[in-house]
Amino acid sequence: MSASCEQGITLAGDLHARPAGALAVAAGRYVSVVSVTAGGHTADAKSVLGVMGLGATSGQHVTVSAAGPDAPEAVAALIAILSEATKVGGLPDQET
Amino acid sequence: MTAQPVSTGTVGIVLVSHSAELARGAADLAAQVSGGTVTIIAAGGTDDGDLGTSAAKVRHALTQAAGEAGVVVLPDLGSAVLTVRAVLEDYGEAESVLLADAPFVEGAVAATVIAAAGGDVKAVAAAAEEARHVRKL
Repeated sequence: MSASCEQGITLAGDLHARPAGALAVAAGRYVSVVSVTAGGHTADAKSVLGVMGLGATSGQHVTVSAAGPDAPEAVAALIAILSEATKVGGLPDQET
Repeated sequence: MTAQPVSTGTVGIVLVSHSAELARGAADLAAQVSGGTVTIIAAGGTDDGDLGTSAAKVRHALTQAAGEAGVVVLPDLGSAVLTVRAVLEDYGEAESVLLADAPFVEGAVAATVIAAAGGDVKAVAAAAEEARHVRKL
């Protein structure tokens, strides 16, 4: 049973290395194909370098899309990470 | 020195650099980005602490990083490959060790993230090698 779904979020902070890492580690635990889109560019959410390469910044709208058997769970998990990890004070990491 | 316990079952990472500081710094960065759940061992510099590589350090690092899931080794420059290959010739479990042809920092970060997500040794090595093709700008 395959599904696809998508959800957006406005970033509360820049998508630096550690939030990008947390996102990619989480995405890698799902079998679905998961992608992140920001500013007209799309990256494989399982590729930390791809996610960092998006250069997504505070206030930017980011969309998480997934297709596969665990797509809804993957999107929910990644939106939660984007919400928490880019929050000011969410991770002790706003400079990296 | 005692080996770090490998409790997570994830692939271990060995970073072989001509510089001890470079290996250690890349290991720190990769650990922070990936959440600190992967065993990453830095093998940098010669036995005397100079710039260069050390077969003894590489051998020791492989032992520390080795778990059931295997190890991926990243060399910084081509000549580090010679040292790693020489060590692997005599290394008992060489089939569980993959040498990745990858940019050092990007490869270390990409490999460690895939290891943290539970990727197998081939997926981790592939992530390191794919780092070559990811643009920063």
